[in-house]
Amino acid sequence: MAGMLDKLLSLDRRWIFLLVLLCVGTPIVMPIGLPVTTTGSTRAAFDYIESLKPGNYVWISFDYGPSSAPENDPMAEAFLRQCFAKKIRVIVCAFYPLGGLGLATNSLAKVTAEYPNLRYGEDYVNLGYKDGAAAVMRRLGEDIAEAFPADVRGTPLAQLPIMKGLRSIRQVQLVCSVATGVIGEYWITQVHSQIGTPIIIGPTAVAAPKYYAYLNAGQLVGMLGGMKGAAEYEKLLAARYPDMAHFYQSTRGFTATKGMDGQTVIHAVIILFILVGNVAYIMSRRAAQKKGA
Amino acid sequence: MRTGVLSRTFARLPSFAAPLIAALLAVFSHTALAIAPEGSPAAPADLPAPTDFAARDRPGDSGNAVLLTWKDPPGLDKNAGLQIRRAVPPAYDWTEITVAQPGAMRYVDTTAKDGTVYRYEIRTVSAADTSSAAPAAGGTSAASGTVATGPPAGPPLVSDPVASHDNWFRAEKTNSFIASVLFLVILLASIAAAQSGKKIFIRRIAGLNAVDEAIGRATEIGKKVLYVPGSQSMDEIQTIASIAILGHVARATARYGTDLDVPNKDPLTFASAREAVRGAYLAEGRPDLYREEMVNYVTYDQFAYTAAVSARMIREKPAAIFLVGYFFAESLILAETGQSTGAIQIAGQADPTQLPFFIATCDYTLIGEELYAASAYLSREPVLLGSMRAQDIAKAIVILLGIVGIIAASLGATWFAGLFKTQ
Amino acid sequence: MNLEFGRLALVFLFAIIPVVGIALGINSPGLRARIPLFVAFFAGTIPIISLYVPKKFLSGPTGMSPRLDQWLIIVYAFAILLGVVNVLQNSTRKIVRRESGWPFSIVLLAGLFVTGGAGVYGAISRKGITLLPDGTATPFKWIQDQFFQPLQSTIFALLAFFMASAAFRAFRARNTEATILLLAGGLVMAGRVPLLEFLAAPFPPLQPAAAGASQALGKLTEWIMDTPNGAAQSGIIIGAALGAASMAIRVILGIERGYLGLGRGE
Repeated sequence: MAGMLDKLLSLDRRWIFLLVLLCVGTPIVMPIGLPVTTTGSTRAAFDYIESLKPGNYVWISFDYGPSSAPENDPMAEAFLRQCFAKKIRVIVCAFYPLGGLGLATNSLAKVTAEYPNLRYGEDYVNLGYKDGAAAVMRRLGEDIAEAFPADVRGTPLAQLPIMKGLRSIRQVQLVCSVATGVIGEYWITQVHSQIGTPIIIGPTAVAAPKYYAYLNAGQLVGMLGGMKGAAEYEKLLAARYPDMAHFYQSTRGFTATKGMDGQTVIHAVIILFILVGNVAYIMSRRAAQKKGA
Repeated sequence: MRTGVLSRTFARLPSFAAPLIAALLAVFSHTALAIAPEGSPAAPADLPAPTDFAARDRPGDSGNAVLLTWKDPPGLDKNAGLQIRRAVPPAYDWTEITVAQPGAMRYVDTTAKDGTVYRYEIRTVSAADTSSAAPAAGGTSAASGTVATGPPAGPPLVSDPVASHDNWFRAEKTNSFIASVLFLVILLASIAAAQSGKKIFIRRIAGLNAVDEAIGRATEIGKKVLYVPGSQSMDEIQTIASIAILGHVARATARYGTDLDVPNKDPLTFASAREAVRGAYLAEGRPDLYREEMVNYVTYDQFAYTAAVSARMIREKPAAIFLVGYFFAESLILAETGQSTGAIQIAGQADPTQLPFFIATCDYTLIGEELYAASAYLSREPVLLGSMRAQDIAKAIVILLGIVGIIAASLGATWFAGLFKTQ
Repeated sequence: MNLEFGRLALVFLFAIIPVVGIALGINSPGLRARIPLFVAFFAGTIPIISLYVPKKFLSGPTGMSPRLDQWLIIVYAFAILLGVVNVLQNSTRKIVRRESGWPFSIVLLAGLFVTGGAGVYGAISRKGITLLPDGTATPFKWIQDQFFQPLQSTIFALLAFFMASAAFRAFRARNTEATILLLAGGLVMAGRVPLLEFLAAPFPPLQPAAAGASQALGKLTEWIMDTPNGAAQSGIIIGAALGAASMAIRVILGIERGYLGLGRGE
């Protein structure tokens, strides 16, 4: 018994890796279709965008790279779909070096293909990537054209109908930052604290605990915590706009809802590991005490 | 008695004629008004003029903005608008700037040019087509001889001449300015107190006590010390703190003759780390032990860097690993790989995001401001200790303000929280 | 030649004085060591003052503070060059001396030159480094999509495995704090996913109870994230911010000099 406990406690981590591989890989191949419950912070974000009116401006910032795309891409696409459905004008930019712009281009191309009536330059615009996120955000409060003189194709902002009358970010009704690292915090400290623009952040699950502090302080109007938050948002979107539901039901593309299956299984397995490990630990401690006594 | 022409005429008419003529006159006068060319000043009773119209330079800005404030007249129709026009004296060529909504009572003209003197005019216009109101009777330019049709407008109110300029201070940031100055004063006072010999207490920080132990272990085993100064650049304060700790670690490795390896992700951090290590070896009097390869640049990409450093840990099996600085997702990979090699690991980060991973995998973790206290703790220099004390005093003030704020909010005194607003 | 005060002041403070100082300090190491402190003082105080003083020469669009931000980006580009040179030096040294693992250095150099070459080609031919107008990828983007992104995702995916092995090893009820950590971690993990529904999936009669319990667990998880976690995070953020402010003032005033390689008494 003691020998088995010891072996369990010092289990070669490669067995654990193998089990993780099986648990995460299987639901991708065979989806389970588990339900998703919504939380207050995601609902708050969804309701805020729902309360905006056609013609309002929403600034969506791609502050993440390819490594966190599975968590963040669904968030960005959900924001874009909701804004386009509500005829909100969308301004897209990217502050994450090494891939942010590519992701912005890909997501925009994917979602605008679903809305053939939208026109680039009138209903949405891609301003491209700029270095030095915090410094650029400071400039956005004064004059957007100073920070982004032209869009990603090189067209000066003055020639874009969507930017007519939009001089600074003070006139934007909402900023959605889909972030992986610290750039989300910059939006709060540079733009919300200095100017007051409402912010919604979609961080990765790792960074989400930190943003609860800002959410409680009222500096965020909503937050999507990681892939779970993205799955919740997809559920709310499909419920409110039934014609979008088919995007989230097909099993071909990757959506956060599909990813949640794998996450559920691996959470179950890790909890099992912890229980087993603790049981083994407590029993081995008791055995050692008995031996000593 | 002298009677006028009209009264003598009226005196000769039959008795019913007077009311008939009065009625006809009334009808004609109304129609006459209706077909009169626009331009004759019409001041209908439902378009009253606003009051207290003031135009001044917008305070606390970088210029090119004029702040206009006024009071809405009582009984203003909620569908009416308040048209604001601007002209450059002496050529009074009024151009419309905007039409404000009732209830706004302020507008900022951001198209003003610094140094140019303007005059502003405000008047009420009725709803619907407020895009082109009729030109005012006395102020049209020579070119406008056309009869423009538009909604009638109330009497205008013209402001005094005003020019915008940039200002010396942002008034809305007064509270943050006072806080910064207060912090600076506390800091300088604490440093002065420390320099005058006052003993300053600093609590025991286990992670920092373990630094020497870790390096000693590396020396015994004969393996090297691996120091990872975070993955961000020198514009991040945590990286600067990490380089300061690197200086101490480098002095210890110079003293004991232990090998040191500092892989870098950021080029500026690389340059700074090289200076810090080289300076440390010189200061210890062991320049012969310093090798250029000690501090090396790997790559800028986050995960390529992680892969390279993890591979280095597995291949070269350092005895002590320091993960001090600002890390992102690579923290768990590095720490877990280091744990698998059996090295003693000391980690530190001020940002709370990756701390859970370090706590789960490393032997010692510096949490939050313990990282910033490290250089003071390790060197025990009075000046640095004094600045740490200032940090603690400031934190005590923040805690006190927090408690007062909770009590104030519970008692309904919301003005207290308003003192700390930043816009 | 644009001779506004802001630009002149920046050039004077960050170009003329350092160069003159280095020239004068060739024989005097003390003076040479002081110049970085001088530059650090102004580089630190200009953005702080521009936060409170909106004068045009300081914080306007062409003021000193935004210009300084732009200069930082230029300095950064040169620093990357420094890093690349170091990589070249180390790799060629490894190959020449046939140190252990030297074939990998050849792979590294090959990757460096091919990718760097593709980027330079994109710049010189004005085709850029993203998509060509007809939608096909430039060589740089092709390398990025076919090599870079999959490799990045692979290393990032390692986190899943490491998380599991770290949880297994670290979440042991060793003492009170470890037990609290363990319980909180377990509850949040269970509450963030439809775990109970998953476990009840093969047992239809238990499903309504599982759904209800899952809701309650979800609410408990939200409370843990909002209240104890939110409070602790706020505390750490505030403390770290004050520490950062104190450290920043130390660096600006030249009290903290470790990052320059200057130790005590220099």
